[in-house]
Amino acid sequence: MTNRFKNIKHIARKVGMVKNLAFIAVMALLGVVLLLDIFVVEKIFGLLVYLYIVLGTLFILYGIPSLYASRRLIKYYWQRASRNRLAVGGLAFILFLILLAIIGPLFTTDPTAANFEEKNLPPVGFTLEESVYDIKTGQFTTHRITGTGEHPVGTDDKGRDLLAMIISGAGVSLQVGLFATGIAIALGTLIGVTAAYLGGKMDNILMRFTDIMMTFPFFLLLVFIVFIFGPNLVFIVIVIGLTGWTGTARLIRSESLSLRTREFVMASKALGASDNRIILSHLIPNVISLIIVIATLSIPGVILAEAALSFIGLGDPNVASWGMILRAGQQNLDTTWWVAVAPGVMLFLTVLAFNFLGDGLRDAFDPRSNI
Amino acid sequence: MLNHKLLEVENLKKYYPITGGLFARQIGEVKAVDGVSFYIKEGETLGLAGESGCGKSTLGRTILRLEEPTEGEITYQGINITKLTKKELRGLRKQIQIIFQDPQSSLDPRMTANQSIGEALLIHGMRDDQERAKRVAEILERVGLESRHAWRYPHEFSSGQRQRIGIGRALAVNPKLIIADEPVSALDVSIQAQILNLMLDLQKEFGLAYLFIAHDLSVIRQVSHRVAIMYLGKIVELAEKGEIFQKPLHPYTEALLSAIPNIRQKKKTRILLPGSVPSPLNPPPGCRFHTRCHRVLPICDKEEPPLKDIGEGHLVACHLY
Amino acid sequence: MTDVILRIRNLRTYFFTRRGIVKAVDGVDFDLGKSECLCLVGESGCGKTVTALSILSLIDSPPGRIVGGEIYYNNLNLLECPPDQIRRIRGKEIAMIFQDAQSALNPVFTIGDQVVEQVKLHLGTTTREAKEKAISLLEEVGIPTPEKVANYYPHQLSGGMRQRAMIAMSLSCDPQILIADEPTTAVDVTVKAQIMDIFNQLKNTRQMSLLFITHELSIVSEIGDRILVMYGGRVAETTTVSELLNNPKHPYTASLIKCLPDITQVRDRLETIPGTVPSLIDPPGGCLFHPRCDKALPICREEKPPPVTITNGHTVFCHLYSRKGEMG
Repeated sequence: MTNRFKNIKHIARKVGMVKNLAFIAVMALLGVVLLLDIFVVEKIFGLLVYLYIVLGTLFILYGIPSLYASRRLIKYYWQRASRNRLAVGGLAFILFLILLAIIGPLFTTDPTAANFEEKNLPPVGFTLEESVYDIKTGQFTTHRITGTGEHPVGTDDKGRDLLAMIISGAGVSLQVGLFATGIAIALGTLIGVTAAYLGGKMDNILMRFTDIMMTFPFFLLLVFIVFIFGPNLVFIVIVIGLTGWTGTARLIRSESLSLRTREFVMASKALGASDNRIILSHLIPNVISLIIVIATLSIPGVILAEAALSFIGLGDPNVASWGMILRAGQQNLDTTWWVAVAPGVMLFLTVLAFNFLGDGLRDAFDPRSNI
Repeated sequence: MLNHKLLEVENLKKYYPITGGLFARQIGEVKAVDGVSFYIKEGETLGLAGESGCGKSTLGRTILRLEEPTEGEITYQGINITKLTKKELRGLRKQIQIIFQDPQSSLDPRMTANQSIGEALLIHGMRDDQERAKRVAEILERVGLESRHAWRYPHEFSSGQRQRIGIGRALAVNPKLIIADEPVSALDVSIQAQILNLMLDLQKEFGLAYLFIAHDLSVIRQVSHRVAIMYLGKIVELAEKGEIFQKPLHPYTEALLSAIPNIRQKKKTRILLPGSVPSPLNPPPGCRFHTRCHRVLPICDKEEPPLKDIGEGHLVACHLY
Repeated sequence: MTDVILRIRNLRTYFFTRRGIVKAVDGVDFDLGKSECLCLVGESGCGKTVTALSILSLIDSPPGRIVGGEIYYNNLNLLECPPDQIRRIRGKEIAMIFQDAQSALNPVFTIGDQVVEQVKLHLGTTTREAKEKAISLLEEVGIPTPEKVANYYPHQLSGGMRQRAMIAMSLSCDPQILIADEPTTAVDVTVKAQIMDIFNQLKNTRQMSLLFITHELSIVSEIGDRILVMYGGRVAETTTVSELLNNPKHPYTASLIKCLPDITQVRDRLETIPGTVPSLIDPPGGCLFHPRCDKALPICREEKPPPVTITNGHTVFCHLYSRKGEMG
């Protein structure tokens, strides 16, 4: 039995090497495809797809094994979090949204297909009454349209199916949330941990820099960018990310500072652990729960920021985000109300879901809350 | 048991600068440890007693170079370790270890017992997972835990068990000296007794030396061979255990001993110290204890008494002698 | 024993958590006499703090709830009183001080202001009278230059001073009963001595009953008249202090006394009590101490031990002394 055990351990060590080799192989392959894409064939993959493949590979090769290693701990936290019904509900909604965004487009029509024949259709079960004045006859006739199952949420003034637009908007919001938050968290964590660990002058410099960035007029920057480059979702995401990291930096720094003086870190030092080991094995795992909570609670703000920008006209007109739909629908709230209400309701539920989940996670991770 | 000195500390000082003002200039110093000298022999326990703020914890950490000494020398097995670089210190890490007071925060909550103890082994070269797991199991059994619980996280253990894991972690590298910083203060009485017995057993089995830091003199009495009393960053008395408890010389030691509630003696006359411990930012001139001393002499506020040997290794820093 | 001012019968306080029902206090009886000092002793988790909080209805509910029993304060059952009546009693007639003075004192008010607030609230005096009373109280607890100290904020005082200030606050309305929850646990040895001195003084000068909660058996002999040892939410033994120290009957009490590192003598090894305190959610049947008891009888696993009167005032809950136990 010990022999078999030994073999497994042997393989396990090899797997470590295999992981790295696999990663390099996949990246090489991707690089080849990218080159082909640029120079030879026409657009094989969109930019986003490349990004997802890289992230996905990283997650599968490195993320999943370390998650598996701490599965008991994760189970413990999950048990604590799942007792909060609102949090579970929020998570369910988010998962549903993700599913919707991925598979939804397969079942709906093209959201950009304008069809003026079918414009301004109400949602299923609702009726729109319009009074139409016929100049020739001098009469008012009431024109009634009832929504059909073909367009369950109705259509907008250009005849585009609203359900399809909502689903595509879901994808936009989620991805904006993911990337903008990702950039902000990554920057914030890097600066926060560095400031905390280096301490002294560097800490001071980094924190003053953070303070200055906090006062930076994000909105003006955005208007500026739009003015120069035109409204482009990618730039919007980057700007939101580049200006949203300051809060995270502060929180991560203060948590890292308090961790640094915790006795188990001192014990590690006393055992002779290098700074790297302390940061990687002690600081980061203990900060991850904070990062998860911050990320979950930041996403709604990011989504709303993008929606608000689109609403006031700074958004990317080529992308059917919820904000853009809202913008289109706000003028006819008294007649074709569904065009504004649908994205509004979705935004509301999404923000609520992330907030509930974030609160639940924060309580689950806090050792002092008695769940 | 050999008689040679394992650790020797000479005139050790640790000052913390206080910064203030717009440009963080230094405006003062907290003299946490202010000129401490002593030695510990192989296999012996030196008890270090004192109240909060006297600098005993800081002293323990400075010896381990977890804090950098401001002045003074630390010698381990004849080698001056005060100025060693981090790299050079690594070898030392296997020789001197530390146990902390709070079982709650002395273990990484995200690491299993196996990982916490295993880290010690990993840092010092035991890379084979299987070998480490085996050694961790041995250590766990030795400190009174079941090896099958190695996969548990700290929150799944009781305080006493966590403290045992902390001891196991310190033991893993086979040290010769362990600095025990209030190891039983946060535990219930019945668990205290268990842990103290464990430490005594380990001392016998492995020939360990302890620097046992505590504020509870009854605990110190139980485990120490020699005892040092600290006040405001300085050692005021140091002697064999029997000497200190039967014939305390320094007025502070007298007051401390009389302050201890004893279950078998009902109300006794005690020496009540007026006021409270002065701030280490601004210690009183001359002898630091003179402001509260019940046997103060006129010279006490002018000159600081040196720590002198008045016979048979009994050291006292007091003008009375 | 003189008149009884507090009579507790079959007090049961449970905490209803998702993991189960924690029987923090499970059937506790005791009496507190006028001007008597009763020490409630036990290790962490034995229910002594919860008992004290139950007396003043300070149990966090949910998840806790006093599910049964009677608490008679001068013939008034506190558990049947409406909330505003309890509030009038709290602080005025039954006062409580807590372990950590730092968190019990409001950091944004001066010490003087906090005492004055108490006095005005319960006694309805003018501010000037309340201020005078505050200063005399601070003096009573041994704070030097009380007029000056009254203007200090908590963070400007040392730990010992803060503790004294907290005691002064609790005395502001001349309570009949003072409940002290581990007042000497978080302080240094010399400060501990000072605090014990204050308590002794108070005992002599005021006709106040003191319910002193601590896990340090060594302190008990200094201040206590009688002692109640708790284990796992139940009473193990109760008697006078000297009787308990010289003649402990319950195996837990006896072991606890032996565990103490003694300042007067050194032993080769300390006595220990093997094992750990049982979980109060899923307690072992019968006597809670039996898994760790070296004198356990077969009946200890089955039945809760009944109270047995050894002598007048010395009661122990143990089968070794009950008739059933004697029968084996």
